[in-house]
Amino acid sequence: MKKRLLFSTILMVVVAFATGAIAADTLKKISDSGNFITGVRDGSIPFGFHNDKNEHVGFSIDLAKEFHKALEEKLGKKLVFKTIVVNPKTRIPLVANGNLNMVTGSATHTVPREDTVDFSITFFLTGSQLLVKKSANYSAVKDLSGKKIGAAQGSTNEKTIRKLNTSGYFNPPAKLVVYQEHTQGMLALNNGIINAYCTDGSLLAGMKSKAKNSDDYMILGEMLSYDPYAYILPENDSNFRDFINEQLIRMFVDGRYMKYYEKWFGADGVVPFPMTDDFKTLIKLQSWPL
Amino acid sequence: MLNYDFKWSILWSDPYGGWILEGVATTVKLGILCCIFAMLLGIIIGTFRITQFKPLRIFAEAYTEFFRDIPLLVQLFFWYFAVPSLLPEGMRTWVYQEIPDFEFWIVVVGLSLYSSSRVAEQIRAGINSISPDQFNAALSTGFSHYQAYRYVIIPLAVRLVLPPLTTEILTIFKNTALAMTVGVLETTFMSQQVEAYTFHGLEATTAACVIYMIITLIVVGVMGWIEKLLAVPGLIIRKGADS
Amino acid sequence: MNFEWQVISNNFFFLMGGLVTTLELALIAIAGGLVLGTLVGMGRLSKLKSIYYPSTLFVNLMRTQPLILVIFWFYFLMPLILGRPIGGFTSAVIAFTVFEASYFAEIIRAGIQSISKGQIDAAYSTGFTYWQAMRYFIIPQALKNMMPSLITQAVVVFQDTSLAYVIGLREFLRSANVVDAREMRSVELYLFVGLVYFIVCFSMSRVCKKLELKKENA
Repeated sequence: MKKRLLFSTILMVVVAFATGAIAADTLKKISDSGNFITGVRDGSIPFGFHNDKNEHVGFSIDLAKEFHKALEEKLGKKLVFKTIVVNPKTRIPLVANGNLNMVTGSATHTVPREDTVDFSITFFLTGSQLLVKKSANYSAVKDLSGKKIGAAQGSTNEKTIRKLNTSGYFNPPAKLVVYQEHTQGMLALNNGIINAYCTDGSLLAGMKSKAKNSDDYMILGEMLSYDPYAYILPENDSNFRDFINEQLIRMFVDGRYMKYYEKWFGADGVVPFPMTDDFKTLIKLQSWPL
Repeated sequence: MLNYDFKWSILWSDPYGGWILEGVATTVKLGILCCIFAMLLGIIIGTFRITQFKPLRIFAEAYTEFFRDIPLLVQLFFWYFAVPSLLPEGMRTWVYQEIPDFEFWIVVVGLSLYSSSRVAEQIRAGINSISPDQFNAALSTGFSHYQAYRYVIIPLAVRLVLPPLTTEILTIFKNTALAMTVGVLETTFMSQQVEAYTFHGLEATTAACVIYMIITLIVVGVMGWIEKLLAVPGLIIRKGADS
Repeated sequence: MNFEWQVISNNFFFLMGGLVTTLELALIAIAGGLVLGTLVGMGRLSKLKSIYYPSTLFVNLMRTQPLILVIFWFYFLMPLILGRPIGGFTSAVIAFTVFEASYFAEIIRAGIQSISKGQIDAAYSTGFTYWQAMRYFIIPQALKNMMPSLITQAVVVFQDTSLAYVIGLREFLRSANVVDAREMRSVELYLFVGLVYFIVCFSMSRVCKKLELKKENA
């Protein structure tokens, strides 16, 4: 009896998944439903987070609002702007399965990810770095050999640490602790559960600046990987991708992008993160003629 | 409908198949350890609850209510994120950074304490359901208190308590999945990890479902075997242990 | 270690917002779980094989799964079945309803079975149909018998909603987590969260005990 139940369950599950594939038409979907649904991050400072007043704000949320405005203009109707909180683990499947129209977060554009979703042009440039407590007196990344390092599940940072472990950069290998999200990692670091937390430099700057005891932390050493951020878009929908890219380029060219950059990353911004020369060149190169 | 490309071969390709097996090993290890600790603690606390000595009874009742009335996830977060800041600096570093697989052991602690309160409750209910007449009857045949417990009450209670304990053991195995939230690489975590690397979450999650089903079948099988081993013909009509 | 309890008062409204979401989720899940659970529980007692087997399969399948996996499942799977996007809250509601229904179903099945066969026959002999007998005779009586178990399960559902944390839903636990990441006061926050859960669950379990005593004395 039990065996038969098990078998029929497996069969049921298999049948449930044997569904056909239909290409997405995101613009039509947005127009039909009257909703623009974008995934945003929480605890990814300053791309998407809760500020002191507990409002959900961020650089990517501001840019998402610009996309919303442009979409309303293009489709010629009012659209409801809906945000859904995603984490590094859910952001790709949720776009792939049609739950979200796009994700305006802080995702690194990688080739393997291209198998499942598409990406916009690069809107931000950073790389994996380590956040440590000053009191621990680490002077280089190598000092973390054999220590506990945290990273978020499914992030490029997690993969970077694994790579540094297998390549022998960390000797003895660092003990990797994988968390579901950055906030947990920050808590673990603050409470002395891990020695360092690894994520993108700009996020670390944000996490550091938002912490009550900001001066206790420092960002350690060089960039361990190179992470170009892009927005996650549905696979095989070039109309929608073209539309988002065009909006990004328009923002690069007419100064709106720099206005938001100053607001969040400027000297008085939430996370002071001066634009590197590479970054400036990248923006220039991506400003394709309109 | 969705644009999803099924690729079941992900599940047995290297290294993903190995990850899932590692996850299963961790789940089983975690589940067995927690079962042992929860049973030991639960039996002790459950017995405290029916003693004549009031302070022990009150302690045991407070213990059960405390661990039962707070969600397991909150308890795990408390043990993992909050307790370290209560420890002195030196000890904290040692406990949290030097103990190998610290995340694993904190879940063993949290889940065992939580489950022990539920086990204690079942033990108490089991012993209470034995009528005092049985005890008196045992005494009247010349048994001492100790003998009455040893030869009448406990053997009866064990048989009565077995079916609900099966349910508790299953609950423990299912609850081990929460360990993923504090970075323990168990089955659910590994299925999500495979998803993160391959974006084939549906295959990986289905695999995890089937694994939990198999674990359940094994636990039900083993407990059924124990029950049969202990069964006294005609004494207790078993109402069927529901999984 | 010095405690700073202001972290609770400073973020009180934010935390209470999370608690409201938790309560909403719990109430919908309990109501939905009861309705679906009653149907499935009746199905488990049906003589029709086409009803008995699917409901038995459903109950046995759900009860082998960890809730966290069921939540993930619906969060990813629902858009597949519906072919349209669905929010975190809705998917959590569906996951909890379906999952808890399997537990409610077993309680209800046991409750219905506790009604003696004679009563059911009596109801039929006075000309009641199956549904009428269920509606007027069996379910009201069974409900009384199973009230303690139902309340216990409702408390479990209330606790279980904390798992909606994993899909990013801003319920009570996540609200505390969000505040914690900013304020770094883990001990105070998790003690507070634990205390609130404790008060709610403890008072419910007291109610449950009273009902049980009443039943025994009746």
